[in-house]
Amino acid sequence: MARTEFRGWMPVDAVVVNGRPGLTWMNMADVRLTEPFFEQTVHRLQSQDPKPEERFTEFDALVQLEKTFDSVAPTGFIFHSSRCGSTLLANACRAIEGAIVLSEPPAVDKLIARFITDVDEHGTKANLYSIFLRGVVKALGQRRNGNERNLFVKFACCSVWQIERIQRLWPDVPWVFLYRDPVETIVSNLQNIPAWLQDEDHRVLASITGAATEAVATMNTAERCARALGSFYATANSVANDRALLLNYKQLSLAEITNVLNFFGVEPAAAELETIARQSQTYSKLISGERAFVADTDAKQRAAGAHVHEVAARWANEPYRLLEQKRLENQR
Amino acid sequence: MNSANLIAGKHVVVTDFDGGEGILVDLNTKRYFQLNETAMIVWKGLEEGKSIGEIVADFTASYEVEHDRATLSVKRLLDSFQTYKLVSAK
Repeated sequence: MARTEFRGWMPVDAVVVNGRPGLTWMNMADVRLTEPFFEQTVHRLQSQDPKPEERFTEFDALVQLEKTFDSVAPTGFIFHSSRCGSTLLANACRAIEGAIVLSEPPAVDKLIARFITDVDEHGTKANLYSIFLRGVVKALGQRRNGNERNLFVKFACCSVWQIERIQRLWPDVPWVFLYRDPVETIVSNLQNIPAWLQDEDHRVLASITGAATEAVATMNTAERCARALGSFYATANSVANDRALLLNYKQLSLAEITNVLNFFGVEPAAAELETIARQSQTYSKLISGERAFVADTDAKQRAAGAHVHEVAARWANEPYRLLEQKRLENQR
Repeated sequence: MNSANLIAGKHVVVTDFDGGEGILVDLNTKRYFQLNETAMIVWKGLEEGKSIGEIVADFTASYEVEHDRATLSVKRLLDSFQTYKLVSAK
């Protein structure tokens, strides 16, 4: 394999081909990651004619290539408890000149999931997956047009569960944990059920919730969500250190977004702040930016039925309260 | 093959991990080997073309260990690298 052949190629998925685990790479040399999610950019490219080239390599190729990439070191990480404004925050990072924003890239999320689904007694596989994760982030953070200066990674919500492993790889990178009231979050997830709550391989949710896989299989979606949220809040609470910023959805404002960027060591220019302000008035997950953002705290609270309140009270409210307490203490 | 004249195999890639540990990847067999800090010292010595004596010196400079014991450890590690065909003759 000629290493230069992979310059500008990005690992778009972690897959298993004929029993061989590895990565699908796509030629993205001139592509800007403008969509709210990495996967949306990949789908846009795959729908073009001609389609971009794709290749499969086993992971050993990544280990070789990692040393050759000219990449931006991570500037800041975004963790979240789902449906809480994290996409808005990622979009704000994208407004910064020279920023690469990796929003829930599947290869990253799948490698993190393998910390749970593919383990061995001695932890060798976990170390291997850590190395692959580092390599994938480096590959995704390649300088492809020369002026990239910042790299922001927004992880999928379930990745919070593996935050300590991620911190071990990048101990100096500041990170924010964004979260929202559990009742509102559960309602949002029930209105549009995400893949992570429907995953038929229940091992990840079992690990997150501390329940047996058989028990996860029998739980309804609201309970799965409530238990996962409780775990996300508790995990963030236990690992938050001086490199961490806790941020509640209800705090989100232009000033607070600017504060997060400052926390990441970035000073947005006036024009960038204008872009962020404009973006924050539209629905963050739509590519077109045509749908207006509507604050829906009251609507979500009204939409919550007795069962949602019950599972939130049982599994999530107390960890949420403790996390809020920590956030408020940190603010003093 | 005598372990005194070994070099790191060209088909092996090493990557650092977690402050001193590392992983070797044998590109021929697609096998991965996890190395602790001491094994990494030996491997890096091989990559730099050092003699056993020089690697042992690196070893004793990093750890409080007697010269004879360090020599034995280095030779054992080199034997393991040979067993798994991770090294070649100079």
